[in-house]
Amino acid sequence: MSSSDAAPTGGVTTATTADTRRGAPTSDPPPARPLSEAIRALRDGVDALLVGQEEAKLGVLLGLVAREHVFLEGPPGCGKSVLAEGAARVLGARSHLVAFHRDTRESDLLGDSVLQRSKRRGDEPDRGRRGGALERIRVALAPGPMLRAEVVVLEEISRAPGEALAPLLRILGARRALGESLPLESTIATAPLDGPGTPVDPLEPGQLDRFAIQVRLRGLAESRRWWAVQRLLERSCDSARTDCEALPVLRPGERQAIQDRVDAMPLGEELMARYHEWVRRVRALAAAADGEALISDRAFGRLALRILRAHAVLRSAAVAEPADLRALRLMMGRRLPPEILELLDDVTEDLVRPREQAQADGHESSRGASSSLGDEGLEADGDGGDHLSLDGSEVASPPVGEDEEEREVGLVERPAPPADVAELLRAFEGRIDRGRSDPGDDPGGQPRSYRPLRRLDELLDGDLVEAILFAEGSLPGSPRTYRRTRRNAGGAVVILRDVSSSMAGQRNTWAGQVVRALVEVAARRRMRVGYVEFHHRALPREVAGRLLHRSYPRLFQLAANAHPLGQTNYEEPLSLALESLRGGRGRNRHVVMLTDGLPITGDTRVRGERLLAQRLGVCLHTVFIGEGACPAVLDEISQETGGLRYQARPEDGGLRVAARGGDATASGSLVRRAS
Amino acid sequence: MSEGVEAAAARSVEESGEAGSPELWDAAGRAASAFAALRSVLDRHVVAHDEVKQALLLALATREHIYIEGPPGTAKTRISELTAQASDLEFFFYQLHRDTRLAELVGDVVLERRTVDQGEQIHQRIEPGGLLTAEICVLDDVSRAPGEALNVLLRILNERRFGAQPIPLMTAIATGNPMDDEYYNEPLDPANLDRFALQLRVHGLVQTAADAAAELIDRFASGEVVERPEPVPVIGRAELDAAYSLLPSVAVPRPVRVALLEFLRSLVVEHGCDETNSLLTDRSFLVKAVKLARARALLDGRVEVGLEDLDLLRWMTTFRVPQEVAEIVPNLILRASGR
Repeated sequence: MSSSDAAPTGGVTTATTADTRRGAPTSDPPPARPLSEAIRALRDGVDALLVGQEEAKLGVLLGLVAREHVFLEGPPGCGKSVLAEGAARVLGARSHLVAFHRDTRESDLLGDSVLQRSKRRGDEPDRGRRGGALERIRVALAPGPMLRAEVVVLEEISRAPGEALAPLLRILGARRALGESLPLESTIATAPLDGPGTPVDPLEPGQLDRFAIQVRLRGLAESRRWWAVQRLLERSCDSARTDCEALPVLRPGERQAIQDRVDAMPLGEELMARYHEWVRRVRALAAAADGEALISDRAFGRLALRILRAHAVLRSAAVAEPADLRALRLMMGRRLPPEILELLDDVTEDLVRPREQAQADGHESSRGASSSLGDEGLEADGDGGDHLSLDGSEVASPPVGEDEEEREVGLVERPAPPADVAELLRAFEGRIDRGRSDPGDDPGGQPRSYRPLRRLDELLDGDLVEAILFAEGSLPGSPRTYRRTRRNAGGAVVILRDVSSSMAGQRNTWAGQVVRALVEVAARRRMRVGYVEFHHRALPREVAGRLLHRSYPRLFQLAANAHPLGQTNYEEPLSLALESLRGGRGRNRHVVMLTDGLPITGDTRVRGERLLAQRLGVCLHTVFIGEGACPAVLDEISQETGGLRYQARPEDGGLRVAARGGDATASGSLVRRAS
Repeated sequence: MSEGVEAAAARSVEESGEAGSPELWDAAGRAASAFAALRSVLDRHVVAHDEVKQALLLALATREHIYIEGPPGTAKTRISELTAQASDLEFFFYQLHRDTRLAELVGDVVLERRTVDQGEQIHQRIEPGGLLTAEICVLDDVSRAPGEALNVLLRILNERRFGAQPIPLMTAIATGNPMDDEYYNEPLDPANLDRFALQLRVHGLVQTAADAAAELIDRFASGEVVERPEPVPVIGRAELDAAYSLLPSVAVPRPVRVALLEFLRSLVVEHGCDETNSLLTDRSFLVKAVKLARARALLDGRVEVGLEDLDLLRWMTTFRVPQEVAEIVPNLILRASGR
């Protein structure tokens, strides 16, 4: 596809962004300029779209010039969409935008279905008796605007169910559809962060791997990039408009020329030697990631080399050099888990520069690829504070003292529960999320698969072609319609806390901290929480007359005010907890029991409660506090209901919480799932 | 964007110098009186709830969305509806319910069959209606809609376009019942709440403010509060457009910028707000907050933002930070602005 596309092109009408029209008014073709100037203009154009987010800007640029796909992930309002749409405009490519939602259909993406009927008269003379002519119906596809675009922006791609994405991503990957090759150069996909509470379908690894560039954005304020925060604030306080209108900056032919240069960019020998070493080291890192890493031949054999070349082109270098290895970080956003990704920078830096030099200027070491475009970016740093550098040096060189400030803050923040509760919390979070991800049928949920039509009003909620054929009576049987499912949102947890006299002192303080931590976990998922203290009686701590509620701050107060007294009784609190969970729907219902002793009163085997919990599908988790052997009844309770088993042992003045009994490995796997 | 901060600051000082131009003052005065007319309609029909009324005017002036949460019977819907009725805009009211379908909000699904060369092309589209054609809308009990249908709705609100088509919607006013209670069983995704720049919590006067409640009763008894007839529009598209176009001319002096930054910093650094427990998005706090502060000054007939205008930040943090932090936000605002 030639890049004379800055001028209007026929054929594309709907939804193609207006840039082609805007690009038109320049009457005379401007004189040719060196390619390095065009590259500079492109970089400045993309840079002006957004304050901060240097990694994302560079990633998008690399993807566009390398003609590869880009995946941007981040919280709302951090500029993903501005960047994706803006960059396509700046490039002057014919672009098409799809905003994904739950009901995005294949026809919205690829094009409408076309029914092709061919009537064939039956050979036999008595066809009247057979019910008329035979009709052959073929379903073809009328290519939609996406198949004619050069850059496709897929907004919030993970909002659509994975099943709808599969054909799309295959087509985008192969750049072929309907037996023809597409003009498609790049795709820029944006996605919200998947976390608790966001109704998204995370992309599968195989789908993600098609995106060469993968960058995770963070909010400027939330990631404490105060320098960029201030710049953005100044911008919105000063300028009349809040967002920059993106205009194409490349002249006819320049995009093609830049992309051609990427194809032709030689890879230096030194670079290749270090790239092999880099791959070896990344593989070692990935091995430590425990199967969470996404290391494919496609990524490391083909995509990485294109990114190296593209980075060299953006530097206007004659040959790709070891410094270009820094760009590869932008490929790794989702290929390595975050904690391993942090190590990657050191691996890369180690290979980019000779060791002694790294030590010499280690104090100004620029981590990550943000400043790797190098010379121009760094020279802007020199002015110290108040120069607005084009390459966003604020990422590379934050204002002096920021790091210390953060560390200091870490100390004054509210006291955290003992650090070794983390394992219990992770496992618990894993359990909650596993419950949430259990989908159930729901008419408002995500379309998952097809099932036969049950009610006539479902006619539009499924395969349109079959619906039409059904309506005109030429479909044998009923049309397919979506089976919709949704994850169980919300859920509930009841925390049972032993306040018998043996809990007095340190154990009581510690139990209060565990309760608080558990409430925080539940609060993040907006679960309803019940809190019951128990000794020989159960003491439900209700708020406004309800045991299950979402008044989390009140629970923090209650948890800090427990007064140990009396003996231990399991039956009454468990019975109370299960009773309060009885009415609820969904599988995400949990009871966490904190205790340090054997039950003395009540049914010490709690048989009835164990049966009831199994019947209701409630998980009973138990945490035993103490040095000795854990009462067998606690193990039975957890094992029968699929709950977690933990033990907290006093150790070095603190408490160590670890999985109990023989299923340490089982809970280990839970931890991994949760993290 | 390559000027230095100092240069930008210098420029803003110049701008604030220009801000005193008589034309601008006149225009600001006209905008303020147009909104004052709207305010008096609200006051005539509803007692107290000063914050909600102020915030609704701000939402209308800045074309932002607003979410009002409170128990039943606290005039949420009434004030929202009044605001919409008193503005001469295309109005859409929808009561959401458990089985809300997208088509009810955006218009009917139309199947088109066209004969093309090779056969018959089947095209599904939506005949725009409801939300897609409205300029102002009230979404009552927004949290009752099933989560996923709600997501589509909220995305429309956020992006102000459906598919690739821009929609004329200026302001959406949503109401909901408290989250920490059992009025419904689907908690609203906090990320969705971010779509609403302004977020308020209302309380019943009878439960919280005995004096105001007494006044409420007296004023109803004396017939001072008008329940009927419904108001006639007092502010139209022209006035709203004029006010909106004035917003960028309202100067934001340096102390306000410093205070806003300081406020944000105190949330993040001192109160541990981060991605896991808060939604301090750059768009909301660095772009929309400035716009809202400008509107607050303008509605007051001023052409320069003052530190007191930053009080509106408490309407932006209601559901964006943990509840215990939200409770002390008014203090943080005062401290950040050195008052």
